[in-house]
Amino acid sequence: MKIALLSESPADEAALRVLVEYVLREPFTQVAPALRARGWPSVEQVLPSVLRHLHFNTDADGLVVVVDSDDSVVHTAEHEAPGYFHPGCRICRLRGVFRRTIKNLPRAHGRDRVLRAVGLCVPAIEAWLLCGRDTSITESAWVEGQASGRPPYSRRELKWRVYGTERPTLSHEMKRAVQEVSRHRGDLRRLENDFPQGFGSLARDLRGWRTALQAGGAPRSTS
Amino acid sequence: MITAVQFRNFKALRSAALRLEPFNLFIGPSGSGKTSFIQALLKLRSLAGLSATPAKELEGQKPQGPQIDFHFAPPLEQVRVTLACTSDDLVCNALAVDHPPGAVGEGQWAEVRQQLRGIRAFLFDHYAMAVPAKRSDSAELASNAANLAAVLAERRARDPEAMAHLAAGFCRILPEFSGLDFRDTGDGRVELLAQLTDGGEALAAEDLSQGTLYLLAILCLAHDPHPPGLICIEEADRGVHPRLLREVRDAFYRLSHPLPGDRAPVQVIATTHSPYLLDLFREHPEEIVMANKQGNAATFERLSDRADLLELMKDTNLGDLWYTGILGGVPGE
Repeated sequence: MKIALLSESPADEAALRVLVEYVLREPFTQVAPALRARGWPSVEQVLPSVLRHLHFNTDADGLVVVVDSDDSVVHTAEHEAPGYFHPGCRICRLRGVFRRTIKNLPRAHGRDRVLRAVGLCVPAIEAWLLCGRDTSITESAWVEGQASGRPPYSRRELKWRVYGTERPTLSHEMKRAVQEVSRHRGDLRRLENDFPQGFGSLARDLRGWRTALQAGGAPRSTS
Repeated sequence: MITAVQFRNFKALRSAALRLEPFNLFIGPSGSGKTSFIQALLKLRSLAGLSATPAKELEGQKPQGPQIDFHFAPPLEQVRVTLACTSDDLVCNALAVDHPPGAVGEGQWAEVRQQLRGIRAFLFDHYAMAVPAKRSDSAELASNAANLAAVLAERRARDPEAMAHLAAGFCRILPEFSGLDFRDTGDGRVELLAQLTDGGEALAAEDLSQGTLYLLAILCLAHDPHPPGLICIEEADRGVHPRLLREVRDAFYRLSHPLPGDRAPVQVIATTHSPYLLDLFREHPEEIVMANKQGNAATFERLSDRADLLELMKDTNLGDLWYTGILGGVPGE
């Protein structure tokens, strides 16, 4: 399978490469050069161009996009209802961009469209990296904290816990990211349980790819 | 460490004040006081090498002349240094010191003075860096980094471990290179070589790109086992690909926030016009200084002092916010 990853940093990309392979249970080829965006608003802005590029200029099967939630609305099961769209939810917004962009694209490279997998790190990828080490760090803890106005932890604290500093070097970030996600080799249930929407959505999207490809063409996105 | 600076009638800095962090990134249009700030620090360094005037002797002299007050971090917070003007010149030509009385105060001033002598400013010149350097000119990196080859060659001889770390970092950031080497040119000079990963060919400094040379100079500073106490770097992003600016930031943080027990922190003052570099400070807006110009007067503002900053950053990158003008620090039109 040929896959493109759109992430916010090389460290995020390193972790994603490992996680995507664990979900798919097979190695994949990454589209080069690596795609990168400069934080949330940039991801949403460049995504249409990235999709068109992948569709017409590459033979990529799918695109994985993962962003941090920061302080935005966290995706919930209610957002999965047909036709539902929450303007403050980054998963809803990214799916919306996918939907609008690929709607009128003609077939290219033997496929209808580039497959979609969207994930949301709540509130940042360091939370995923700490999954299984600290049971207090979960999507629901963050959502409850948002609701009460008392976040259970800050992004800076998460950085401290993962890297031992608020200002890690890129190489240290990459090393730690791969170390931590590698703990989930062969069993992603903990990540999916603690981050059911942010990571769960990504995993469900990816698992749907095999079926879509075996069916001989990717179905249009509906949500 | 210098904790705060107050300006009066120093160039465009008519009435400006700024507290300083270990790392400080200045952004703003031309003529907004960024370079003047660095010039003030260099003036402080040079005057600190001369005999100081007691603070009270400055009183009443040229009351509207340029004056710059410097404050320092504990335990030296009771020492205050003032640059002032005692003649009709428009430049500060006198240094006044206020410190606690007695031997303790004298000792504190001596320590501050020692630190001030460690102020260095850099504006790299890739043409100068590409020329072989005199081997004897290896004591410390020159302000334009013209002696980069000599400094690195000396470091490899005296501290091979530090040089190995630098070279490893360089090759990680630019994987097209596999190592650094040096060649005597036979006239007492040394030339810097970078080995290519593919084929093993070595490129001389004159064949290296501008950005590669600048990156090497920044790494030279960041991996210096005995760095200066305060470093100013103008146009820190110059020649560096936007995707590699994170490495530049990391190099600065290596200086300003060393690992515990490593060495004393180096205070860093950097300037940039790159929104991409600014983007990398989303988590640390307290390290960003907006230089604003209104008419002929310039002022400074810490980005973290903006009450609405977190709200603004929810939907927009810092770099884009700056470009729009919302944050200030843009040229007049």
